[in-house]
Amino acid sequence: MNVGEVDLLVGVSSRDAADTIAHALSAIEQSFQQYFVRQRVVIVIVGSGDKDKKNGLLEATSSTPFTRNPRQPGITSLRTIHRVTADFSTPPPPGVALHTVLAAADLLRARACAVLPPAANLNPSAVASLLKPAYHENFDFVAPLYKRHKFQGLLARNLLYPMSRAVFGCAIRELYSDEWGFSGRLASLCLNQDVWQEQAIRARPEAWMAISAIASDLRCCQTYLGEKSQPPTVAGSDIVDALRQTVGNLFWCLEGNQSLWLDSQRSQQVPTFGPEHELTSETTELDPHRMFEMFRSGVTELEPILSVILDPDTLIEIKNVVALPEGQFRFRPDLWVRTVYDFASSYHHAVINRDHLVQAFAPFYRGMTNSFLIEHSDSSPAEMEAASEMLCAEFELQKPYLRERWKANVEVKS
Amino acid sequence: MRETILQALEQVYSNLVHMVAEFLPRFLVMLIIIAIGLLVAFIFKQMLRALLGLTKIDRVSEEAGASRFLRMAHLPAMSELLSRSIFWVTWLCFVLVGLSVLGVAGLQEQISRLFRFLPEIFVAIVILFLGAVIANFLSRTALLAAVNAGVRSARILSWSIRFVIWILAITMALEELGVARQTVVAAFSIVFGAAMLGLAIAFGLGGQDLARRSLERHLGDTKTENDKEPQPL
Repeated sequence: MNVGEVDLLVGVSSRDAADTIAHALSAIEQSFQQYFVRQRVVIVIVGSGDKDKKNGLLEATSSTPFTRNPRQPGITSLRTIHRVTADFSTPPPPGVALHTVLAAADLLRARACAVLPPAANLNPSAVASLLKPAYHENFDFVAPLYKRHKFQGLLARNLLYPMSRAVFGCAIRELYSDEWGFSGRLASLCLNQDVWQEQAIRARPEAWMAISAIASDLRCCQTYLGEKSQPPTVAGSDIVDALRQTVGNLFWCLEGNQSLWLDSQRSQQVPTFGPEHELTSETTELDPHRMFEMFRSGVTELEPILSVILDPDTLIEIKNVVALPEGQFRFRPDLWVRTVYDFASSYHHAVINRDHLVQAFAPFYRGMTNSFLIEHSDSSPAEMEAASEMLCAEFELQKPYLRERWKANVEVKS
Repeated sequence: MRETILQALEQVYSNLVHMVAEFLPRFLVMLIIIAIGLLVAFIFKQMLRALLGLTKIDRVSEEAGASRFLRMAHLPAMSELLSRSIFWVTWLCFVLVGLSVLGVAGLQEQISRLFRFLPEIFVAIVILFLGAVIANFLSRTALLAAVNAGVRSARILSWSIRFVIWILAITMALEELGVARQTVVAAFSIVFGAAMLGLAIAFGLGGQDLARRSLERHLGDTKTENDKEPQPL
């Protein structure tokens, strides 16, 4: 299908989404009809042809000229909304799907693009929120912001956000998300980089894309989307898989962008559209006792491995806090940051197999989560935000420690 | 009488001179061969060291866990170990060739036997090395998986895996060397069979719940309690 040039391009993967893809496509089309009436638009659906055919997806993905929104009869798109389907024999991993979307964006010279999950609760305004900053304000990377339960997104709150903010000097809260917006310029830039065969990119390409924007001095922003749309299958619902895809990926990004942070101090303002953050205070089903038990047993059982990864002083302190009774245990921010930086530098020096290293990090994350749940069981959103800022400051303060460990000649104890 | 003794002494002396005259050039040739061997071995070592430096084998070895094993055995880094090995193997070959030039009765036979045996020693060393690397990697994989799954006594599981792989590697190496071949194979079969039977019984009796959960996870569609547990993400 020849669709010429477009203004807006939205990529969506149909992977494991037979039940929800139709709704997601409908939400995207409604967004075009309501917010981008005059723009030339295209939806790129990345899926596996045979499976999708069986699921009746292909029948639902033909182009729909002059689609009318039955709920808002007065608003009609003036242009044809094209749907392009990229078929793969097997469902492509996220990196391959993104590469396809970027290739389409580059080919069609799209000005603003977005990658979206095929979620059942995807809403038209969220789609528009991701596209508008890139289209109207010339931003190059648009990260989402969500309304969160206060114990949701703990990995982002306690590690990914403060560490990426301290290291790359760019305060993007949701570096790892399955929906984000970007400019055609950033699409072309990323498309031409020789990283697409890397496992880290194939599994989780979004953080790398944001860091590529920061490294090229392109403009980043955040936009508030409200409730997080849930994809049909929650990727990485297993904690080790989630750590592989995020923490492992972040460590990989650190290594690939050393010139960006190792010898320079960068800081980029990240404008935010909508509220900076929004927390709700429902109770949590997480079990702090089990978290602590798994932390304690993990540190005890993995001691030979940890002695290779951690600095001796850090390991001694970890052993000291593990020995405390559960009620007295707190993972101090300075110790947490030093532990994370030790893991990052050991990942760089490859002191053990890197996948093993990320797996060995899981008990520490459980320990930190236990500490966080106990400490903030009664905290208000404002107090939690203040604690989060303090943690960010600690990551910033100890950045020289990371640099020192990163540059040190690896000398591993047996 | 006196003349006879003198003649005998002359004869012995001339024989000795003859033997020394015959031996000295061979000894000289042996020394030259050994010296050349030293030079060739040194060149080989330097070439291999440079080549391994380019291939970044130390990093690969570090990631595979082999370097840790080497450190535990107080051995140098992988590139250094291979470079030194090529040096000593090359030089040993030249030394053996040099010794055979001496023409000492019986020595040549022993040297040729040693030469025939060298490949088997080399293969046995490689088997042991690979066994150590695989044992290290798999035991660590098991340890991490068990710890993150909340399995108690994860380290015992890890050690068991390491032990079984070590036994397998040692058995294969001894079989390669031809040391008490039948005894070794029989002993391995008994030890390995007993270990597996023990594990099966222990798993079956002591870990009925774990077995059920594993089977459910791998064969059935039902989610286990562990899977349902909310994760702090």
